[in-house]
Amino acid sequence: MVRKRSIATLMVLGLAVLSLLLVSSARAAGPIVLGCPLSTAFLYGWDAERGFTLAVEEINAAGGVMVGSEKRLLKMEVIDTRDLEPGVPVSEALLAVEKLILDKKADFILGGPVRSEAALAAMPLLSKYKKVSILTTGVLTPKYHAMVGEQYDKFKYCFRIHGEATNLVGEIFANFTQLKEKYGFNNLFIMAQDVSHARGAAEIVKKVATDKGWNVTGLEIYPTGATDFSLGLLKAKDSKSEIINIWMDMPESAILLKQWYDMKVPALPFGSTLAAAEQPGFWKATEGKGEYTLCNVVNAGNAPSNATAWTMKFYNAYTKRWNVEPEGLGTSSSYMAVYVLKDAIERAKSLDADKVVAELEKTDLMGVYGRLRFDPKTHQVIPATDPKEGAVGSILQWQAGKRVVVYPKSIAMGEIQLPPWMKK
Amino acid sequence: MDILIYGTINSVTLALYALGFALVYGVSRLPNFAHGAIYVLSGFIAWSALNIFGLNYPLSVVLAMIITALIGSAIYQFFLIRVRGMEISEIIASYAIALAILEGLRWKGFKGMTYTLPAFIDGSITIAGVSVDYQRLLVVGAGAALVGFLWFFTHHTRIGLALRGMAQDERAALMLGIDSDLMALVAMGLGSMLAASAALLLLPLGNIVVESGYNVLILAIAVCIVGGIGSWAGAVMAAFLIGFAQILTVAYLGAHYQMVVALLAIILTLILKPSGLFGQQKELEERV
Repeated sequence: MVRKRSIATLMVLGLAVLSLLLVSSARAAGPIVLGCPLSTAFLYGWDAERGFTLAVEEINAAGGVMVGSEKRLLKMEVIDTRDLEPGVPVSEALLAVEKLILDKKADFILGGPVRSEAALAAMPLLSKYKKVSILTTGVLTPKYHAMVGEQYDKFKYCFRIHGEATNLVGEIFANFTQLKEKYGFNNLFIMAQDVSHARGAAEIVKKVATDKGWNVTGLEIYPTGATDFSLGLLKAKDSKSEIINIWMDMPESAILLKQWYDMKVPALPFGSTLAAAEQPGFWKATEGKGEYTLCNVVNAGNAPSNATAWTMKFYNAYTKRWNVEPEGLGTSSSYMAVYVLKDAIERAKSLDADKVVAELEKTDLMGVYGRLRFDPKTHQVIPATDPKEGAVGSILQWQAGKRVVVYPKSIAMGEIQLPPWMKK
Repeated sequence: MDILIYGTINSVTLALYALGFALVYGVSRLPNFAHGAIYVLSGFIAWSALNIFGLNYPLSVVLAMIITALIGSAIYQFFLIRVRGMEISEIIASYAIALAILEGLRWKGFKGMTYTLPAFIDGSITIAGVSVDYQRLLVVGAGAALVGFLWFFTHHTRIGLALRGMAQDERAALMLGIDSDLMALVAMGLGSMLAASAALLLLPLGNIVVESGYNVLILAIAVCIVGGIGSWAGAVMAAFLIGFAQILTVAYLGAHYQMVVALLAIILTLILKPSGLFGQQKELEERV
């Protein structure tokens, strides 16, 4: 009797162990969850979401990600951080990140938070939960990768795969120099939105411009939601500025560009993170008044060019999937982030954060916007002007209803043109 | 000269934001926190009529104003009438309606920067060396015409006189047979139509975005508090005060501080004269 009971107990225990093993193996075969904290009501949020979705669909259609000896599918979980909206506190974005980690069981964090302030605040959170994160949109502050460099052990889980403000400033000045040489431009007026990355970048532009011998005729900081830019434009006009450098991602920047056109201000609007002008719908929305506007869409692939063999392949696939061309900062970088992560996971043969970090540091992949590598000390994607060397940026100008890439030269599809009222 | 011209434009813009809010509060003592949402909604209605239903622009504008007026009246008839007289509930209910409208629009996909309305008149003119576009001049002209229309309507029509009666003394108006709820319904409809007028004049200058609903509400409240809540004349005066203060701030201190002006005006008004420039609501307390 006792023996029978012992056998029964052993059988029950055996079954329990077997079911535990089955459960754990089923769990292991579950999808890899990509948590995406994005400000989805804004361009830099929804274009990133679409970029991720396209990459995830492509990868899943090809069988998924090989983790060790098993293929696993990818699954996206998106939470709206709303951090691009005026007045929405950073804490909202942090709650979104924490919810993705704790509630949605995200294995990795991709995308945002989108606003620099929120992304910086999220870094300790990522560190606390040891979650590998790849920023793909919005955040331009150089402080982000500087913090990784300064406190590597703490912030080593944080990567950024798109360009940052210092690169953007460098790219912009390459164009300013070209305009100076070609047209003799020397007066620069700066308009920026009152947010961290824009204020910071505007100050850097002011300093660099002064050092390079430009006459900085003014720097105006506008609160988010400002709807009238007339006095700033008049200041630019009166000070005989030839270039207006704009750092604004708020929708109201469309008002600024319409006012610029209506007032025929003889200064070239040269934007960076000028979300309104990045979108293909900008031309129709401004009834063509946005012609000649330049803007930096941060990475190639966000506007048509032949940077790499993958650029137009991505461009066309995106257009087919979403019935709209890639729209701006965050599109190609979000798409590539999924592929870069897949590549790192497959090399790491594991989802373990430390192993994936080590493999991400070794990334060397020819992607949509050039050769993708991370600086192993700061985890910032390595920039270049030649796609064979690194991640290339992309500056476009609206010409006759089209977004024409004018920088860098290696991928340019046209040259910068001046509006008729600026031609002497 | 640029300060004078753009100060006037900015002031009329603020007056347009605030007129509807002031009218509704003046008549029914109802703080309509859905005012900004109604402003945005009317823009999207006009956009839809123009781009989805293919109507011509003038017809789309007229239709948007009528539909917005009906929506405003419906908001009163089906929601706000139940909490009328309970001030906190009125604020909560109307703000909840604002959230429902704005977030509903966002949920339905009305997001991004590409929703725009065409300008009524394209091009610009130089006045005393200052370049101004025709649409902004139209805003000033139409704003003045709207204020004139409101004055005429409230002084020379039966409904207008009834609205004024309600605004001056609700109990006396009731004794004279004026239907309080009907007048509040009319006021909400008219206030919403004014919000739509403001939207249809101002939105062609930029784009239609959901977030602007919150901004419009804040500025409308600031103007009404400074002018004296419920006073239309006060709202116009306050709009000019804040409008010029903002432009002077941009010109001499920096654009960065322009939003502070409206908020500072609220604080100063509440400290120095809580009833505002033309308000009578707290005169007794102020005298005490």
